[in-house]
Amino acid sequence: MNAASSAEDDLTAVEQVLAGDAQAFEGIVRRWQGPLINMAWRYCRDRSRAEEMAQEAFIRAWRGLGRWRRESSFSTWLFALAANVYRSELKRFPTETLTLDAVHEPSRPASQQRELEERRRQEALRRAVLALPLRYREPVILYYFHEMDLAAAAATMSLPEGTVKARLSRARALLRRRFPQLEEEPAVMELTALNPGKEAAN
Amino acid sequence: MNLAKSIRSEHDGADTERNARMEAEIGHILAAEEKLIPSSGFMASVMERVRQEAALPPPIPFPWTWAVLGILLVGGVLGFGAFEIVRLGLPSFRVPALHSFALISAQLPAAFVGPVEKVGWVVLALGVSLLCWLFSRRLAGSGGLL
Repeated sequence: MNAASSAEDDLTAVEQVLAGDAQAFEGIVRRWQGPLINMAWRYCRDRSRAEEMAQEAFIRAWRGLGRWRRESSFSTWLFALAANVYRSELKRFPTETLTLDAVHEPSRPASQQRELEERRRQEALRRAVLALPLRYREPVILYYFHEMDLAAAAATMSLPEGTVKARLSRARALLRRRFPQLEEEPAVMELTALNPGKEAAN
Repeated sequence: MNLAKSIRSEHDGADTERNARMEAEIGHILAAEEKLIPSSGFMASVMERVRQEAALPPPIPFPWTWAVLGILLVGGVLGFGAFEIVRLGLPSFRVPALHSFALISAQLPAAFVGPVEKVGWVVLALGVSLLCWLFSRRLAGSGGLL
């Protein structure tokens, strides 16, 4: 399904819901359940909680459909609403995270355990994102959730792109200091070689 | 001197390059997140909640007419009270024609005027309290709280 037809489907579904057809909301849930759950997962890294938060976001969207003013796309509105829901849910019931100082980089892997250790290291880095201060954490979460689309991340947070870019840069610097061995991994060069342009562009 | 400068700039350049490589790696790891697939019952549970919400009666609109009337009434009573306090407190402000109990006091012996005035104020206060209670009851509906 391409973006244009999805946008049309969303618009049609919203109009049907506003006309009183509650069942039409199912199409919206079907199309956006994956993205909303994955976005929530990045906020809390707890699968069942991610689903609960995504469900809450859908219910808020259902209640607030009439407030979508069609100035932005439905997805932009939905993601911004979901980000607000996730932010306030995590304020009410914070995830159990370590402080950034308490996050330690795993030791360098032995060759026979390389893959397993590499996964562990990557997971430690992803969890370290949750230990960042909120102002840096959210840009990181949303920037990578939106597949490195700075404009989309900024729209979701209702912040200027320059602010998001500056916060991203600061967040990366904080993570770099916490994970000094990343650079020494041979995988680094292989992996960055796969995707050199996008990072350089940002 | 020049040699030290060139060594330092070479060192700085290497640091910058190293930092850029590390940040690129961080970016790659964060971007390469596995996608979660929603559990099988997720959509059904969302739609169940949506149907429950849809079945709820529409929210009761705020009774603005009664609220405005109440605010006017309370405002009037408070204004009158404030006026009376100022009037009774300041002798120069006394306006005999506006005295609440002027008619009563004219027909009663002087010894009764004071107590009757006091009773009048108590009755007025009770009346205002009753009105407030009735008004609150009206606003709250028959929830059983009042």
